[in-house]
Amino acid sequence: MGLPLAFNVELFTQLLVNGITLGSLYALIALGYSLVYGILKLLNFAHGDVYMIGAFAGYAALSLLGGPLSPNIALAPLIILMFLAAMIASGLLGVVIERFAYRPLRDAPRIAPLISALGVSFFLQNSALLLFGAQFRSYDSFVLGSKNPEFFEPGPLTDPLFVVKNVNIQLIQVIVLSTTVGLMVALTLLVAKTQLGKAMRATSYDREAAAMMGIDTDRVIASTFFIGSLLAGAAGVMFGLLFSQVFHFMGFLAGLKGFTAAVVGGIGSIPGAMLGGLLVGLAEAFAGGYLGGRWSDLTVFGILILVLLVRPSGLLGTPAIKKV
Amino acid sequence: MDSDDIPEIPARPDERDGPRVGVDEWVANVEDRREERAGIAGLARRVDDVVPSWARLAAFGAVAASLPLWMDRGDLFAYGIFTLIYVLLGLGLNVVVGYAGLLDLGYVALFGFGAYFYALLSSEHYGIHWPSWVTFPVVVLSTALLGLVLGVPSRRLLGDYLAIVTLFFGQAFVVFVNAANPTVRGQGLTGGPNGIADIDANDLFGYELTTRRQQYWFILGVVLLVLTGLHFLSESRTGRAWRALREDPLAAEAMSIPVNRLKLMAFAFGAGIAGLTGCMFAAVLTAVTSGNFALPILITIYAVVILGGIGSLTGVVIGAIVINVSFQFLAPENPQDNARILFYAVVVLLLVIGIRPWWRLGAVLAGVLALGVVAHTVAEAVSPSWTAGAVVEGGRLSGVVSDWVIIPAGHDRFAPAAYIGLIVAILALTRIRGWWRTGLLIPTVYLSAIVWETSFVEQPAVARWILFGALLVFLMTVRPQGLLGTPRVEIV
Amino acid sequence: MAEKQPLFELREVTKSFGGLRVTDGLSLHVEAGEIASLIGPNGAGKTTVFNLVTGLYRPDSGQILFEGRSVVGLAPHKITQLGIARTFQTLRLFLNMTVKENVMAAAYGHTSSTVFEAIFRLPRARREEREIAALAEEKLAFFGQRLAGYRHDQQAYNLSYANRRRLEIARAMATNPKLLLLDEPAAGMNPAETHELTELIGRLRTDGGYTVLVIEHDMHVVEGISDRVIALDHGVKIAEGTFEQVATNDRVIEAYLGLQRSA
Repeated sequence: MGLPLAFNVELFTQLLVNGITLGSLYALIALGYSLVYGILKLLNFAHGDVYMIGAFAGYAALSLLGGPLSPNIALAPLIILMFLAAMIASGLLGVVIERFAYRPLRDAPRIAPLISALGVSFFLQNSALLLFGAQFRSYDSFVLGSKNPEFFEPGPLTDPLFVVKNVNIQLIQVIVLSTTVGLMVALTLLVAKTQLGKAMRATSYDREAAAMMGIDTDRVIASTFFIGSLLAGAAGVMFGLLFSQVFHFMGFLAGLKGFTAAVVGGIGSIPGAMLGGLLVGLAEAFAGGYLGGRWSDLTVFGILILVLLVRPSGLLGTPAIKKV
Repeated sequence: MDSDDIPEIPARPDERDGPRVGVDEWVANVEDRREERAGIAGLARRVDDVVPSWARLAAFGAVAASLPLWMDRGDLFAYGIFTLIYVLLGLGLNVVVGYAGLLDLGYVALFGFGAYFYALLSSEHYGIHWPSWVTFPVVVLSTALLGLVLGVPSRRLLGDYLAIVTLFFGQAFVVFVNAANPTVRGQGLTGGPNGIADIDANDLFGYELTTRRQQYWFILGVVLLVLTGLHFLSESRTGRAWRALREDPLAAEAMSIPVNRLKLMAFAFGAGIAGLTGCMFAAVLTAVTSGNFALPILITIYAVVILGGIGSLTGVVIGAIVINVSFQFLAPENPQDNARILFYAVVVLLLVIGIRPWWRLGAVLAGVLALGVVAHTVAEAVSPSWTAGAVVEGGRLSGVVSDWVIIPAGHDRFAPAAYIGLIVAILALTRIRGWWRTGLLIPTVYLSAIVWETSFVEQPAVARWILFGALLVFLMTVRPQGLLGTPRVEIV
Repeated sequence: MAEKQPLFELREVTKSFGGLRVTDGLSLHVEAGEIASLIGPNGAGKTTVFNLVTGLYRPDSGQILFEGRSVVGLAPHKITQLGIARTFQTLRLFLNMTVKENVMAAAYGHTSSTVFEAIFRLPRARREEREIAALAEEKLAFFGQRLAGYRHDQQAYNLSYANRRRLEIARAMATNPKLLLLDEPAAGMNPAETHELTELIGRLRTDGGYTVLVIEHDMHVVEGISDRVIALDHGVKIAEGTFEQVATNDRVIEAYLGLQRSA
């Protein structure tokens, strides 16, 4: 199994850094789940695949702008455009999915939107497979932005920005983390301070009452999906930049782990999603590092089962009280 | 509702023609009932109502038993045996989802467990070769036990959470079998990505079932027995209790029904059936890998149950037949020509069912043909390479198709654009009413032909998954009760 | 002379939800064979009493005894099997099942044929099915023509409101209880239906032999059926006695109508 005999600070720190980076991704995905569940009490299975489409949209933007080996513009605007493309594409996709696969089922029995979501997820995965083929597409983030990409000279993204305990912290990891923090701050401000945020909160407490108070609940729900999917799209591009590979199946596993993060933190709770994402990312990194790669996924699953059995409302969620 | 119009997808569920609380449906729906009795779907429903269950079972049994007499071995395997496997899986899932209303998304893992366990007990892997009369009960009971364990969280988890936990379990099974593959007695327990091969055939007290015919008749026998058993179970006090639990677990509990115990029973039962199916599946295939038990298969089983109508035994049988047959038609091994004919036939069939007055149907068909001819001619005139693409795997229709459908020579950019265009068009169709809808239908049908010829036909395996996904969404939004189910009333 | 033990009683039962105390040291009892009414303004805790007795809620403190033994902590279906059945204020029928099936389903607790016997259609299972069907017919017949004949095979969602209330009572009866808890059985009924219901509740005792505890707001019904009336307010018992005694009790009047202004 490979348990280290002595505590290796380097390994620990490396895993810590990886875990935090990975956790940022999961937190963003978890936010999408939490937002949608909070407002519709619906588990959006298709969310992971929206994330995947975001990653591909980023890749498409990259290709349109010349491709990783011969980009037409500088690195910084390139990355910004990739993010924008992914976020807008994912956001719109989320809105379309809500409109056609979930809205007709607002008042249907609980099983219906879940099955519909399964269908959408499947549809998206295989559509990506059909359109892009089974081969992995690569962001080639290693050479992105370098002066001589044809010679596979490394670009700035994987350069260590600073070093902690002998561990390199790469520029790309810093970008990922700071973007995540920025998005989360923006989201928190949106929910707490804006009219839309207030409307979202009202709708999540009681949809009918909110509608009666003059809130256009359809638009609020659509906005929620847009925001949640937008975050997932950003996460997709981050994955591409961090790990280079994007493939049609990436949404499934990431979606499950993002969902785990949402549940662990307390589904419906925004700070919970952030906390849960961090925990899941760290768990996966450490389990992968200390137990071996093939146990990392199972560890995450185990955590989910544990949390659901012991404290189903999650770490920061509120237990629901039923009135008979 | 204007009966001349194409049936509309209701914008809100309350517009749907469904049962209403407190209204005497029998009296209020006389006109609708008369209309429903008409048409092919109506005929199916009438048959379902009138013919008693034993007669249906006998008819199905007789027809199914005759299959080996006129089907060749390959077809029997793909169309016969596989359909029966899906019937069984659908029946098992139906117990959990249909009878008890529990969303189990890990069901396929129970099937996998049964298959792998049988493989471990009857193959070269560890050299254990137990006879079937031992392995079957052992596998079925252990799978039922596993299902029970899986159901234990259900007492604390509401529907959505249970779905996720079971989905995780299903995924964990695949990961375990593929990657974890712990070493037991000197070799990997589950064979990793290669799975387990050289699995023994089922044997009937010593008599080995090695030919396709023998296997088919054996599985058919099992199917008939399971159908009978489930029918009786459904009519019993347990079946009633399950239905009550599905309706309102709180009220059921207050009415002396031990809800938790019944949920576990449902899980165990469904799991037992999955285990039984796994035994036979492993033997028929003689090898199992994790790919046989992954998410796409789960979706297929769900499609079977939902298409036929959750809770209806006949529905599951019909669902399995429809799904598996069309599935096999779209299999990569089959000549694309079959698939093509099926595709166009289905499109025409849908139009025939969907568009009521004959003249409107004729107009649409004529319009589609005309549009194709015009578009093809124009495209060819503009640039020959635009229509130079070859029609995949000729056959009877290829001549017609290549002159009618625009297939560019190198369609790497074109195909995705056409695909996305088709999706947009279909989504738009659901939003538009009246003449605009009929008008939009024409280019949409033509687009679908283009997409078929440029994308689907080249990747039929992927195409069928796409269609399944779309089918699930379509069923849920338009007809959640499936073909043979009855619309349910739910106080939300 | 030994004091007759009440059929069921609550002793100093307290239940809170979060910060809200719904019942506070509540004690009440019902004698076998009597028809008692539980009244009080909305929010007084009446349905909570039902939920506590039937096991849906667990009391924070206090005892709940049925025929002398404690039922606290038992699963709801076990409590029903012991002999307590209820109807719901908001009607919780099995809507997609037929009228007859609704009633038959409730017979689960006092039948015992197993899954195995059902699958193989063994004689015991078949006999029990017939018995359950007969039981359902008998309970439905209690309501005369209202739930008779062709109605048996109608889906429950087709029934009119009053019929659905009657069906819930029939369903509760099918559990063969000793004690029937009816939660606002007359809610939403017109005067004619209410009158019919009043007679019905009387017959539940005389013909059915049940002990009945009714939550009601309609004082005509309460007056017409009750041997004894228990009044609650804010989770506490404020009066108990015959209808006349309770109706003229100052605290009861204050609870419903507010304090009298002195002239």
